[in-house]
Amino acid sequence: MKKLEDISKENIFTVPDGYFEKLPGVVQSRVAKPDPKVWFAPTFKFAVPILAFAIAATIWFTSGTGNSLEDELNEIQTDQLMAYLDESDFSTELISEELAWSEQDLNELEEEVISSLEPIDITIEDLSVEPDNF
Amino acid sequence: MLEDKDLLLKIKNPETRSYGFNMLVRTYQQRVYWHVRKMVIDHDDADDITQEVFIKIHKAIDTFREDSQLFTWIYRIATNECLNFLNKKRRRFFLPIEDISAQLSSKIDSSNDISGDEIQKKLQKALLQLPDKQRLVFNMRYFDDLSYEDISEITNTSVGALKASYHHAAKKIEDYLIA
Repeated sequence: MKKLEDISKENIFTVPDGYFEKLPGVVQSRVAKPDPKVWFAPTFKFAVPILAFAIAATIWFTSGTGNSLEDELNEIQTDQLMAYLDESDFSTELISEELAWSEQDLNELEEEVISSLEPIDITIEDLSVEPDNF
Repeated sequence: MLEDKDLLLKIKNPETRSYGFNMLVRTYQQRVYWHVRKMVIDHDDADDITQEVFIKIHKAIDTFREDSQLFTWIYRIATNECLNFLNKKRRRFFLPIEDISAQLSSKIDSSNDISGDEIQKKLQKALLQLPDKQRLVFNMRYFDDLSYEDISEITNTSVGALKASYHHAAKKIEDYLIA
């Protein structure tokens, strides 16, 4: 096999016909095009932060500082609410009738009831029942 | 062809800037293109990079300090563009060095715009086994006959390190050619 110095340094790559005649024109036309960044940068570089500030300010002032009814109710402690209901004339049946239960509400209530039930670990001995009695 | 000094004078004068830049492209287009082409192998990639190099030159020409040669400054921009292109290509396809080399090697065999005999193609494939920077140094020294001092200015590397890099590269290539 040949050594490095024995190999021709001739350029083996070729270009399409007329490539180097056209290239200066291609480059010239590209540099002649106005760079969009040139006019965008100085004029609009503050636009995005100003717009973001304006949107944030609009949301802040239009929403007001007061909370919605739902937010206010959420802030009441459950204990306080239960104490109020106990003292009031509302019965559970009346509240149940007045409320519109969705399927999701019912499922959640059911899960809550089931999870609140403590598992009862009772053996036959605990019940003091003789198996012979069965 | 105008001398570098005259080219720069024309470019700095607003009335002759366009003409001066056009002359700069005509003067350096082949050196830039072949420098890039040897690195990226594919003509379309080399064409894109060459255009980008001249656009960058156009944008930055006013910052060129005449304490270095114009051609080493241009070579440096072209070299950086090549390295960025190859790095981006690797990142885009999550490819290690070997896979890029294999991809470019297959282009040497299949491309219609590559001539040369088998041994010349084998030399190009051997070059693709080298790390990018070592390949750049080898190309500039072996094919473009640049002095170590000029390559040092282009790559911002000491002459001693460049000599060592070149001799390591030559050894690796000869080993590849013998294998």
